[in-house]
Amino acid sequence: MLTRHRSTQDEVPRDALPMVAGVSARRASDFAIFAVVVAACAGAVAFLVHAEDQRVVLSALVACGMAWFAAARFRVIAAVERGAAGHPWLARLVLVAACLAVIVVLREDNFGLLMLATVLIYATVCLGLTIQLGYAGLSNFCAAAFLGCGGYTAAALGRAEGIAIPDLVVILLGGGVAVAIGSLLVLPLLRTRGHYAALTTLAFGVMFNVFLDANELLGGPQGLKLAPITVFGWDFSNDLDLFGMTFSFYANYVMLCLALTAVALALVGLLDRSWIGIRLDAVRLDEVAAQVFGLRIARWKILAFTLGNVLAGMAGAIYAKMTGFIAPNNFTLGDSLMMVSIVILGGIGNRWGVLPAALIVVLLPEKLQFIQEYRLLLFAVLVILVLVLSPGGLLPRRTRTLVAGRQA
Amino acid sequence: MSAVAAAPAILEAKGLSVRFGGLFALNELDLTVRRGEVLGLIGPNGSGKTTFFNVTSGIYPAAAGSIVLDGRDITREPAHALAGLGLARTFQRSRLCLPLSVFDNIALGAQERLPQGVIDNLLRRRTLARAVAALAEEARDLARLFNTNLARRLDEPAVALGMIDRRRVEICRALIGRPKILLLDEPSAGMTHDETNQLIDEILDVQRSRGDLTVIIVEHEMGLIERITDRCVVLNYGRKICEGCFREVAADPTVREAYLGHS
Amino acid sequence: MSAIGQYVLNGLMQGTIYGLVAMGFTIFFGVMNVIKFSHGDVMTFGAFGALVAATAAAAAGLPTGVQILAAVSTAVGLAALLGAGISRLLILPLRSAPPLNLLLMTMMVGTVIREAIRLFFPNGTNSQRFPALLPPGGATVGGVFVRYDGLILIVAGLLIIAVVHHIINRTRFGLAMRAVAEDQETARTMGVNFFRVVPLTFALGSATAGFAGVISGLYYSEINYGMGLLIAVIGFSAAIVGGLGNLWGAILGGYLFAGLQTVVVATLPTFSEYKNVVAFVAVIALITWRPTGLLAERASERV
Repeated sequence: MLTRHRSTQDEVPRDALPMVAGVSARRASDFAIFAVVVAACAGAVAFLVHAEDQRVVLSALVACGMAWFAAARFRVIAAVERGAAGHPWLARLVLVAACLAVIVVLREDNFGLLMLATVLIYATVCLGLTIQLGYAGLSNFCAAAFLGCGGYTAAALGRAEGIAIPDLVVILLGGGVAVAIGSLLVLPLLRTRGHYAALTTLAFGVMFNVFLDANELLGGPQGLKLAPITVFGWDFSNDLDLFGMTFSFYANYVMLCLALTAVALALVGLLDRSWIGIRLDAVRLDEVAAQVFGLRIARWKILAFTLGNVLAGMAGAIYAKMTGFIAPNNFTLGDSLMMVSIVILGGIGNRWGVLPAALIVVLLPEKLQFIQEYRLLLFAVLVILVLVLSPGGLLPRRTRTLVAGRQA
Repeated sequence: MSAVAAAPAILEAKGLSVRFGGLFALNELDLTVRRGEVLGLIGPNGSGKTTFFNVTSGIYPAAAGSIVLDGRDITREPAHALAGLGLARTFQRSRLCLPLSVFDNIALGAQERLPQGVIDNLLRRRTLARAVAALAEEARDLARLFNTNLARRLDEPAVALGMIDRRRVEICRALIGRPKILLLDEPSAGMTHDETNQLIDEILDVQRSRGDLTVIIVEHEMGLIERITDRCVVLNYGRKICEGCFREVAADPTVREAYLGHS
Repeated sequence: MSAIGQYVLNGLMQGTIYGLVAMGFTIFFGVMNVIKFSHGDVMTFGAFGALVAATAAAAAGLPTGVQILAAVSTAVGLAALLGAGISRLLILPLRSAPPLNLLLMTMMVGTVIREAIRLFFPNGTNSQRFPALLPPGGATVGGVFVRYDGLILIVAGLLIIAVVHHIINRTRFGLAMRAVAEDQETARTMGVNFFRVVPLTFALGSATAGFAGVISGLYYSEINYGMGLLIAVIGFSAAIVGGLGNLWGAILGGYLFAGLQTVVVATLPTFSEYKNVVAFVAVIALITWRPTGLLAERASERV
């Protein structure tokens, strides 16, 4: 009997055991590791985005991959997590500083900033998908459609004569319309399970696209043009002059997207570490048991679906305004699949995983021109490899440990 | 025993039937369970024991008849409403959320009294932290009843636990909601003889420490039934064929026939 | 009157293609509990194989009958091989992974096939003309003009459905397949060679898709690399509406979907672009009404 107990205890990962001695010293060193890693990541992102030469990009990518592998191998990632958990507010400060540093370094790189903003848009949608797929286990193979809802809302409101709605409100309305259109899917999603639910969203995504293509009012296949964002009189199409430096106008969008992504990250994090997070997990893992213990499954599914769609819709409105033009082609089934892939690539249910995953998925084809033509092919192969070799993704989700205290 | 016999009924099934297609999984079952009683529900495979649990906990609909829990008709109540009315259960095949921590699993059993609102959950973080601490304390106390180091393992994923500890967590999850009645579906399934014996003692301890807790237990392990139950009901083909204390039931010829087949 | 006849024939043609594809979905699901979303692209792959074979046979100066035979056997063979390969190399090893991972993986496999055809088939980005191998023209029957090729293809499709039904219900292999579908563990202990039956099952389902690819090419005289995607979504829809795992359900679903499309085109010609929108709305509504499909028995979850 006793030996049995001991053996099960030995299987416990070492990180899970309580730290007793030298807690504060370890915390400080963990935090130093955290700061160094964040700085290194920021440096790598700035370098990758800015680099032009294909060979340089490729070798930098290989170096990043090796660094990532080494970090995972030598438990650096675990140390980073502990470091951030030890000083949560300081950790957030370091993250914000790192983001600002990247923007400053890339301030004159139009294309680089546009890519960065696109990465953040995708990351935001994928954070919404994390709530839906990762937590509540709701199929959503039409995330691009909800992105499109936001985008077309912004476009339609921009064309409406005589009404001037502030752009921040337009962005919120984008989220609202995504929720409203998504609510059409609520009943089917609540009534179906598994593959039946997956098909419902898949069919909806295809239908949305066919509808946009056929609809003359929304521009048909040619799409619609949009005006740039203006917030409190500040036109986002103007370059910024700050501290004697000139920033490309795309820096405006990067900051706005950064703010939205930060809000989404905070939302997902707070949700995860709350009673709602436990409930959503229970809904995903075992509906019957969850019901028996008093969960109203419908309520939590609707909540998760709504929150995810708000994020997608808001991101869509910003995306449309940023690129100045949207067409049905931007919101295809392929795009929806890409978003689901990002979530799984990053590590399903791990909110930090979507950032590197979105970066890889958006940046790689843009940077490596020679793979442009082959990008879908290589991307699909990459996703298959990840699914076969490391189904947990880049940053596998950790067990929620509410009792031990907070985590970043 | 006599005190229990005089106690009021807490769960009462009358003419309860459950049908799958043309087959009666339960056929006009009448069953009364008294407050504080430990009732054994036995019978051969497919006799309707688990079906009774599933219809009582609202997973299957009843084709006919009624179930009254503590004076309230729950026949048509949806599954999620029953936890709030004081009913908790475990499952034949362990239904823990394995990737979640032990604490998360136990907290699921207490979810009726945890805040439901988004604002409460997302923004009142201090209140939330206090609630976590309080519930963790409660979970530890419960886990300690099982006399193991389980209480120190609340933050570990349930998948890291051995079979017997998973059962214990399942029972903790059912108990933390402070139910009036607890349905245990084959708690010994998948465990060794020693583990089963240990678990029986623990269940008896728990039941004693909560004097008015009513337990219905479905079990194939007759040693367990003999030691733990005040009374037994034997089912066969969805009907009650015998009722009484274990010794009476075990001596009954119809019961022997049901188990051994026609001789 | 003749217009209606044409619509009916078109609808039947489409329904046969959808039904053949949906049959694969439902067979795979029945046996392995997976959705193989690359199924539509396996069909495309078969159709391109048929194109190459038919062109080669024509270049060799062989008679039309041989050309047809070459096209059909190549399509069926290639699709069966590809399907079996995907199941053996990717689906079997991952069978215990979460369903979402598997679904995503097969979607990505589909993307790989699609992109490979686009990139590596000569001039693959554009539609390819499929040779007309069947007798042209038609006959007027009771005031309705019937295209010969359409008639032949529908009959051929129905024949294939009957053959698949026969294999599943009347052969030893079909028995092994149904045993695996019923209970994997028991089937294995009863001596069913799981690692042979599953790829063969996928080969069977994929072969029907390959045949559907030839039908589609012959009837519309054109194929393109992307045609599998929409067919996959429609075939999946049809299998779901009928009830996953139910062969007749899949076929019913296929004809139902085609019927809806045809009704929209016939009654509202100005909205014909919306035919798929209407059909998908109907699909979603049908699933909402019958969450486990029209013909599936309501399986109660074991608790």
